[in-house]
Amino acid sequence: MTTTSMSSDASGGAANASSLADPRRASWWVLAIFLFPALAVYVGLTAYPAFRTFYDSFFTIEGLDATFVGLDNYRALMSDETFWVSVRNTFIWSFVAPVLDVATGLLLALALYAGVPFARFLRVAWFTPVLLSYVVVAILWTWIYNYDWGVVNLVLRALGLDALVTSWLGNPNTALAALIVTHAWKWAGFNMVVCLAAIHSLPSEVLEASELDNCGWGAKLRYVIVPMLRPTLLNLYILAFIGKMKIFDLVWIMTQGGPLWATETVSTYVYKRAFNWNTFDLGYPSAIASVWFVVVCGAVIILNRLLATRERLEY
Amino acid sequence: MADTLAERAPLPRFFSRGALALVLGIYTFYTLGPFLWLMTMSVRTTAEISTDHYAFPKKFHWEQFRIAWIDSDFATYFWNSTIVVVSAVAVVTLFGAAAAHALARYRFRGNRAVYGILFSSIIFPPQITLISLYQILVDYNLYNSLLGLTLVYVSLQLPLTVYLLEGFFARIPQDLFDAAKIDGYGDLEIFRRIVLPIGMPAIATTLILNFIQLWNEFLFAVVLITDPDKRTLPVGIRAFMGDHFQDIGMIATGVMISVIPVIIVYVFFSEKLIRGMTAGAIK
Repeated sequence: MTTTSMSSDASGGAANASSLADPRRASWWVLAIFLFPALAVYVGLTAYPAFRTFYDSFFTIEGLDATFVGLDNYRALMSDETFWVSVRNTFIWSFVAPVLDVATGLLLALALYAGVPFARFLRVAWFTPVLLSYVVVAILWTWIYNYDWGVVNLVLRALGLDALVTSWLGNPNTALAALIVTHAWKWAGFNMVVCLAAIHSLPSEVLEASELDNCGWGAKLRYVIVPMLRPTLLNLYILAFIGKMKIFDLVWIMTQGGPLWATETVSTYVYKRAFNWNTFDLGYPSAIASVWFVVVCGAVIILNRLLATRERLEY
Repeated sequence: MADTLAERAPLPRFFSRGALALVLGIYTFYTLGPFLWLMTMSVRTTAEISTDHYAFPKKFHWEQFRIAWIDSDFATYFWNSTIVVVSAVAVVTLFGAAAAHALARYRFRGNRAVYGILFSSIIFPPQITLISLYQILVDYNLYNSLLGLTLVYVSLQLPLTVYLLEGFFARIPQDLFDAAKIDGYGDLEIFRRIVLPIGMPAIATTLILNFIQLWNEFLFAVVLITDPDKRTLPVGIRAFMGDHFQDIGMIATGVMISVIPVIIVYVFFSEKLIRGMTAGAIK
């Protein structure tokens, strides 16, 4: 039952005394018991696969046959136009879309903070899309963008704007924008609740002082709220950025990267090369994944430095 | 009502109250509308939907759910998802809590290094492990098995779990631990009888968050599972949609089956969930 206390008693007064003297120390086996399961999972299912992907990127792997090809995969990658298109699309998405997410979230949070009626209900309602899976969101929005009966085109036709009616996901000029809007629909609520919590944690004296100074809302927003929320907003930007560098599910279900690679992202391209095209080579997609791993980690570190947030990041 | 509003904060001058209400009303309709639309479609037959996509159901076809559940295999997908997600969440919470406790409580060389290593994988793009995990699971005969997917899910949620719980456990006052030591508690007993009960609010938040994220997970499931009998809900819905592209009513019903557990969790734990998702992003 109480083996641990028994053993520490049995091992003599000295050990017991020392553990009492500094209760923040523990014997190595206690640490091992606590840390081993997590570290084993990490090593076996995260670190080892990551290293193996790097290693594989120097081979052509077809089934069980692996042929060493050196840097050939990387050389091929440099001249792979589809790869560069997917990089461009992912970058557009990663740098532009977070602004949309965070700005919408901030405005919604300000509306709630300003004390609109039914704030409690609105907060819950606006947060709901965050919980829906990408599969669900993708299916819903595929229907919303449907050419014949989707609500977007119905509204446009009702307003007499027939010229704007298009197949939103089938038109290479609108497909990426359509996906970005869908993604923002899902994530605005998340940014809203984070902004709201941050606004509520601002020192109330400052806000009250600005009210005493008869500071208008525009000025208050510009000179008080936004500067004070800077760390939160930057954190949200980086979170959204990371999420978009990895984007896969939504694109895969709505457009599969089409039409004409207009929505191809690095993630969908890796998936296609590894599991979808009948190329049966796992080496080349490994090279893409390795390059992208370096790009994502590098971008996060650089953004963190540039934006100088000392706060910790969450996923 | 109007009084308290005016006291709390004056609304923007450039917006009349009516215009603001209109904008917020439209936005609320924009977020909830698609979901409500999905609900109406899930109880209408495809034939009814085709005549008018936006009509309110005249007759509620609840049998759609029975058909989806039994004839369209959504029961299989639902139980597969349940098995995988529940076991992965249980394991990752236990492993994560143990590691978080050790990292939050004990001083030892390399503490921060271990924390950094566990946490940093949160930014990894999934492809860096995806292709190799596929090969590894094939090597160990875990490809196309629910056990293999569960193990992968544990590894996916580990960084977030350690991060959230470490932050919380570090704030438990040291006095409690000193007192427990004096009472003769061993290290494992301290974990079981003090950290777990006191940390319950944080653990509950982590459980809910992990549940929702894994319930919705698609990429690893679609790569690591090909057998139709082992599909999880997101993969099952996607496959169903691929085969029956025109059967909108049945797709909507299947989607509702996957959404209902999430909605139930949200109804009961919305505050906890929102707090969990915002934790750490603030400060």
